[in-house]
Amino acid sequence: MSIAIIAAGLAVFTGIGAGIGIGVATGKASEAIARQPEASGKINSALLLGCAMAEGTAIFGFITALLIIFMG
Amino acid sequence: MDAFKEMLLEELGTPTAFTIPLLGGIDVSQSVVVSWIVMAVLIVAALCLTRNLKVNNPGKVQMGLESAVQFLNGFAEANIGEHWRSFAPWLGTVALYIGFANIIGIFGFAPPTKDVSITAALAIMSMLLIYGAQFRYNGLLGGLKRFAEPMPLLVPINLMEVAIRPLALCMRLFGNVLGAFIIMEMLKFVVPVLVPAVFSIYFDLFDGLIQTVVFVFLTTQFVGEGIKAEE
Repeated sequence: MSIAIIAAGLAVFTGIGAGIGIGVATGKASEAIARQPEASGKINSALLLGCAMAEGTAIFGFITALLIIFMG
Repeated sequence: MDAFKEMLLEELGTPTAFTIPLLGGIDVSQSVVVSWIVMAVLIVAALCLTRNLKVNNPGKVQMGLESAVQFLNGFAEANIGEHWRSFAPWLGTVALYIGFANIIGIFGFAPPTKDVSITAALAIMSMLLIYGAQFRYNGLLGGLKRFAEPMPLLVPINLMEVAIRPLALCMRLFGNVLGAFIIMEMLKFVVPVLVPAVFSIYFDLFDGLIQTVVFVFLTTQFVGEGIKAEE
């Protein structure tokens, strides 16, 4: 059981990657909006798409952790 | 810890609300019943709000509805292109359902989107929409050719996406709602008073609405990718 909990903790480490990814994307998006405020609509939709993709990895890690805890 | 794990396991499962005594008993799970409540509220709201629509001197309600529909149509047109008209109603319906299902946690129900079967159904419908549209508007050969874009080397990746897109859509919605739900349960377990109410605004309302936007936006984007003419 205890080893399974460590494994679940490792699986949740995917959150680091998602956090870095979303942070970088948001930073670049604000830079882009500062440079070209008139393009903010397009930048926002690209940002939303990228964030959703980056967040997906964290979600997969989270679901893996849940599976390990409850099914393993 | 064990008591908490028991409680979480109980929350994770989808309890059976009641059994229809037909064909040896059909189990109706709680998420389906909450879905029916959501559907009933949406139907009643639609019936009430669309009564007495006028061409001249529209009321405030009608103005609000019209601008909402216009926003949806504009969004679909911007992302899908010239064939947007047949997709806008479906996108709006799914947005209303997911949005309402996500924030129903505020009213004390368990959100039906924390059941993986419901998000899987939504994701499969999205997949059918995306690839149905691709073949409907490009023809059989044109639709197949779309898999070889932007270059033929990417065919295996594009084919893998047929399965990955709905899986990611399904797991994203499910994981987010379930994660928010588990965090709320933990908070209620640790501090039963006042603090959960504050966090509920973020986890139930904000996160639920963001996930609605993400689901609909990604579906629209994928549909548009499949049928937009080359520029």
